[in-house]
Amino acid sequence: MSSLDRKPPHTSRARYWRSVEDFKSLDAPRENASHGYPELVGREFPVGATEMDGATRRDFLKLVGLTAAGTMASGCMRNPPERILPYTRQPADIRPGQPLHYATSAALDGFGIGLLVTSREGRPIKIEGNPDHASSLGASGTFEQGLAYGVYDPQRGKSVKRAGQAAGWKSFLSEVKERLPVWQKDGGEKVRFLDGPTASPFDGWLRKQIALALPKARFHTYAAVSRDAIYAGSELAFGEALEPRFDFDKARVVLALDDNFLEDGPDRLAVARAFAAHRVPAPEVEGGPAHPTEGQAEHGHEEKGASESAWMNRLYVAECGFSVTGAQADHRLRVRGSEIIAVAAAVYAAVSPEGAGDVAALAGTWSGHKWVKAVAKDLAARGPQAVVTAGVRHPAEVHALVAAINVALKSQVVTYQKPVLLDVKSGPSSLAELGAAAIKGEIDTLVITAWNPVYTAPVDLHFGEALRKIPNVVYLGQFEDETAPYAHWYLPAAHELESWGDSANPDGVVAIQQPLIAPLFNGVQRGELFGAFADKVDRGAYQLLKEAHAASLGDAAPAGGFEAWWERTVQKGVLVTAAPVAVAPTLQSAKLLERLRPLKPAAVAGIELNLIVDNKVYDGRYGDNAWLQELPEPLTKVVWGNTAILSPKTAERLGVEAEAIVSLEVGGQTIEAPIFVLPGHADDAISLAVGYGRSGAEAIARGVGANAYPLRSTTNPWFGATVKLALTGKKDRLGITQEHWAMEGRPIALTHDVTAPKEVQKRQLRLIEEQAPEHTITMHGEQPSLEFTTQSAEGYRWAMAIDMSKCTGCNACILACESENNILIVGKDQVRRGREMHWLRIDRYFEGDLADPQVVSQPMACVQCEKAPCEYVCPVNATVHSDEGLNDMVYNRCVGTRYCANNCPYKVRRFNYLNWHNNLQGTLEMKMNPDVTVRARGVIEKCTYCVQRIEQARIATRIENHGKGRMLNDGEVVTACQQSCASGAITFGSLHDPKSEVSKKHKDERAYQVLWELNTRPRTRHLAKVRNLNPELA
Amino acid sequence: MSSAAAAVTSEGKVEVPAHLRETPLIEGPQSDRTLTDSILHPVWRDPGRGWWMMLAITSTLLGILLLCITYLLLTGVGVWGNNSPVYWAFDIINFVWWVGIGHAGTLISAILLLFQQGWRTSINRFAEAMTLFAVICAAMFPALHTGRPWFAAYWLVPIPNTMQMWPNFKSPLVWDVFAISTYFTVSFLFWYVGLIPDLATLRDASVSRTRRLVYGIFSLGWRGSARHWNNWKWAYLLLAGLSTPLVLSVHTIVSFDFATSIIPGWHTTIFPPYFVAGAVFSGFAMVLSLLIPARKFMGLHHVVTMRHIENMCKVILATGWMVTFGYACEMFADWYSGSVFEIGQLITRFKGPYAPLFWLLLFCNCVVPQVFWSKTMRTNLVVIWIVALLVNVGMWLERFVIVVISLHQDFIPASWGMYRPTLVDIGMFAGTMGLFGTAFLLFLKFVPAVALAEIKELRYETELELAHAHDGAHSTAESH
Repeated sequence: MSSLDRKPPHTSRARYWRSVEDFKSLDAPRENASHGYPELVGREFPVGATEMDGATRRDFLKLVGLTAAGTMASGCMRNPPERILPYTRQPADIRPGQPLHYATSAALDGFGIGLLVTSREGRPIKIEGNPDHASSLGASGTFEQGLAYGVYDPQRGKSVKRAGQAAGWKSFLSEVKERLPVWQKDGGEKVRFLDGPTASPFDGWLRKQIALALPKARFHTYAAVSRDAIYAGSELAFGEALEPRFDFDKARVVLALDDNFLEDGPDRLAVARAFAAHRVPAPEVEGGPAHPTEGQAEHGHEEKGASESAWMNRLYVAECGFSVTGAQADHRLRVRGSEIIAVAAAVYAAVSPEGAGDVAALAGTWSGHKWVKAVAKDLAARGPQAVVTAGVRHPAEVHALVAAINVALKSQVVTYQKPVLLDVKSGPSSLAELGAAAIKGEIDTLVITAWNPVYTAPVDLHFGEALRKIPNVVYLGQFEDETAPYAHWYLPAAHELESWGDSANPDGVVAIQQPLIAPLFNGVQRGELFGAFADKVDRGAYQLLKEAHAASLGDAAPAGGFEAWWERTVQKGVLVTAAPVAVAPTLQSAKLLERLRPLKPAAVAGIELNLIVDNKVYDGRYGDNAWLQELPEPLTKVVWGNTAILSPKTAERLGVEAEAIVSLEVGGQTIEAPIFVLPGHADDAISLAVGYGRSGAEAIARGVGANAYPLRSTTNPWFGATVKLALTGKKDRLGITQEHWAMEGRPIALTHDVTAPKEVQKRQLRLIEEQAPEHTITMHGEQPSLEFTTQSAEGYRWAMAIDMSKCTGCNACILACESENNILIVGKDQVRRGREMHWLRIDRYFEGDLADPQVVSQPMACVQCEKAPCEYVCPVNATVHSDEGLNDMVYNRCVGTRYCANNCPYKVRRFNYLNWHNNLQGTLEMKMNPDVTVRARGVIEKCTYCVQRIEQARIATRIENHGKGRMLNDGEVVTACQQSCASGAITFGSLHDPKSEVSKKHKDERAYQVLWELNTRPRTRHLAKVRNLNPELA
Repeated sequence: MSSAAAAVTSEGKVEVPAHLRETPLIEGPQSDRTLTDSILHPVWRDPGRGWWMMLAITSTLLGILLLCITYLLLTGVGVWGNNSPVYWAFDIINFVWWVGIGHAGTLISAILLLFQQGWRTSINRFAEAMTLFAVICAAMFPALHTGRPWFAAYWLVPIPNTMQMWPNFKSPLVWDVFAISTYFTVSFLFWYVGLIPDLATLRDASVSRTRRLVYGIFSLGWRGSARHWNNWKWAYLLLAGLSTPLVLSVHTIVSFDFATSIIPGWHTTIFPPYFVAGAVFSGFAMVLSLLIPARKFMGLHHVVTMRHIENMCKVILATGWMVTFGYACEMFADWYSGSVFEIGQLITRFKGPYAPLFWLLLFCNCVVPQVFWSKTMRTNLVVIWIVALLVNVGMWLERFVIVVISLHQDFIPASWGMYRPTLVDIGMFAGTMGLFGTAFLLFLKFVPAVALAEIKELRYETELELAHAHDGAHSTAESH
């Protein structure tokens, strides 16, 4: 990875001058003078962080001090004081060196997720979910975690540019001010805004303010991954655009039609949690019966009372590519994207006989398909507790059919609400309209705040050309990406962690977004930009946000006055709003069926292209985030790039092999991508993730993977196009973190298939014994050992339990671990060499049929063996056992013989083959967690059970009790991986307390020790994955 | 062997046919004078163009080694191909290979001395020097392969320190430090003590003052008095006694690096004896591969006779069978264990991605030495040389199989990976050859390659023996 190998940019220290001449000459090279004295004297904005470009930590601390001092003596400042407030749960006695937690939020494609950010000495270093936020519940996904990297990304745009030349934000403002009267003459008719989807009340208020100044200015909304089809589908079905809300707590049978709901969607984290709660055949309620009686099991929906949650859901997935949700499926149907609508029609026909005739043509042969029939039967049997969902990539008809199926099932899982988005249309049509207006010359000024529309726009819209027709294009983006060259004014956007704002989740829960750090690279906040167009130039985003909220409160003055209310709200992060009002829409069956009657299943000849939203870079916006780039894709385990994914059968038929670069042609557009052969992929289709092959100024993202957007058109935005494939004869050695996908008959990741609820209820007491009789602790007890184990005075025995039934393999834990423990990225070339540094990895195994396999994901980090094979082989005592059962790694003592890593049967130790932190450029050093050593070249590292968190908690009790301390309660220490996991698959605690969660999990029938027969006595036990199979399909 | 042959003669009183008679250990009529002249000749004479060319090649390789080491120290172990899961590769393969080669020297010098095998005399100096240089090549790797050699250099040694931190005595790597350093020290002393009378001879025969001075310093004031000879004999014998257990211990301990671990393919109780046998096997092969050309170019036919070479071939054949037995035992144990991991490792060796190397190893170490059943082959220098080289290749592959194949697929399939050497890996391996070769060429140039004092003693003993035989007296080994 060339960009990582590059030397860090010149880190300029303070430059001194000896004479006036010297001083003047310093002034000359302006681009390098940002640290020099003249800049400090002559700069415009004291609060802005002009000097952070490539700043050192020392510079940064100085700046923090300066900012604080400046803020206090605020008389001469542009902005009134802005106060950010720590989260209330933090103990009151805050002192330097202690982490602070701030509640904030960040939105992705319009919907916000509440976050808690850990800040150390003014640097945000770790993102966690805000437990009070309904869309997070304390969990956080990879995109949220990745923000802690993004804010320090030295590739971000650093200066306001006018026609490619550096200019000031102030000159932009003065230009806007100058032009406002001109625009106002015709009411701003020729002023347009292109924004991403947003549900933020602040944005809503700003738009209203803009409308006051420029009543005819229009807002367009565009996102590569739009939810248009969902709203259009509900319009078809119910006559109005509605937001379907799923309560997976009630869902016993789920059919997902190409819907990666565990990973995508506005509240993916909350959905994953609710879904996972019923993924295990054990009651999740505290004090519930450990072994429910059989009677309760027989007919689940007749159950009552406490045992209500003692059931396990069943997931059916029909999809083309292999998604994280598909990997969790009990039964999965491989089907091309264009055929999903037929499957939906067939299911509809089966559950709703009255409409069967009308969709018969659409359903085609799928009506007689065994899988579809069995699934439809199972759905119908569960009725209100069954639900069908469909992915956003599918057209409105699929969503309408799904709505109709759910109505036919009388599903209680799904409810409908009014959409909270300011603009429900964010698909290509909106962009097309804008483009047409541009070509007609109707637009004088366009302000783009949507993410990189030139890169993501469907190719047939020729959006870039349309932009050329607009005299004034303003682009607010974090990077000088593909859209920036089309803009006359490029404004570097402030990062989410540098901006004031707010967000809303689909239920309308509003979360305040407060900045954690002054903009590092002169970033401009959205609020400031919109404020300028609303003729509110003099007020910063903070004032505007407060104004917006004061306005939304109206006359209903909160108790204690607005300021007190505001501080409470910012502290807590979440604004308590009224419960969302569910709409009870009526299905307009006749109209819908009329629409569906003439439809026929699309017949896509040859190989169908299936574009997918990427798990790591999303639509490409996280392309410059090296943390995310280095995450292994959950199924292919490919890092740094996308691949053209095929089924083994198709690959064989086409005569292509993995890693061969093929050219893919759709509608005259050709791209080249390497092949990946993935078991379980639909035949005659190629899946390719969008978001790669970037060509902007982002050094990390540039050139990684293949750009799939040129293959995307308005007619076939995601799938349905025939792709012509040709071998190029070239080869790309992919960076793959797991090359071997079969378990080779070894009892490593145990799974268990059950076929009847009754069986699930009984939890298969002999679950593990049946599978691996000679590999179980339950059969043989512990093996004898000559060694004595010491116990600490306090008696903690730290341990972990990982539930593979719940684990979806989504990577959130890997990123949480990376962020907490200062794990460094190594780049594609080093991953190819097998040197990735992730302490926690997720092993993905395929089982069964090669064409149609089952998947099990097994998170694997150091299991903290009681009899650790790594310890006795270390010649210098660098890895030793703590009396609380941790296998401690003493970095300072390690000389790097790597013997411990060789002797680790779990292969969870990582070695610093090179000085990886040489790669850290400038600001990236600031994201390091000061509680964790940054490891040098030549030492081994591995999972520590977040020992720094254990010690923090212990020290906190001592402070609390004036030096005496007390025993930690169960749940007081939460590891980073556990905290991020939306599914709740990871449990951590001490075994000394038989009532602790982890003790209970360790005693679960599904619990086992991986590689038991080695007598390593791992403190991490895995819980076998259970699948709830339909007997008709098993 | 000579005594056995003599016994047959004496018991059966049978005239041994000429073609069955053992070739003598010293050929032709020799006197102390002729031996001195012929053995010291290479030291005095101009080394010749061949020597200089060889030195040019080996010193180039040595230069490459130094470059590689510099690059390695500046950049990190990442310049090699080592990865996860193959944390050890060429570094440890080369280490074990060189240590193994270093075995023949001590075995020939010490054990054969204690067993009073007269034929060792002509080749022991040679073999000891080889041991020394091989151990230097070997010892370089454990130090350099660590992530932080600047700490490894002394943290592995029990030096009292204010931190009260000691090495972990449970770790075989600490035992390695002791084993290798002891072995090097004793081997060096043994070689040097043996060299003292010859250094004195060189001093006495020197024509230039500088040489006289240098050899004079290194000969430690040897005057050849009876008391000197007596002390020297005792010292030499004691060192031989001290070295003997080391022959067994060094490679036993090196094998513990693997045997005490829990990795399938490493965790094997047969490793200590099988490593020792393998070491002797490769050591003798290396002696032969060096001796055959050296003998030719230095004109040592009269002291290094076909009998020496044949005997070494027989040792190779015997130890070849020992390692073959070791392989068989290991495979049987893998299969008999019933453990899915052990059997998996066996199958990986047979059919895995590195299987060709495994089969090549079996060919080189088990099949090729079988040609030595034939006396014709055993006396054909070209065949012997090729077999010796193949055995060296086979033994290197054996370590590759043990280190890389065992590591690349261990317990958990998800963590399996492949290892590919980098140019630096190959450069360092070739570089150690350069180090070894350079040291060896300098050795051939500056000290007698054959133990002169001992060969003279042998000549005296042989002549005495012959004289006894001619007199019709009982010829026994007691003649000493």
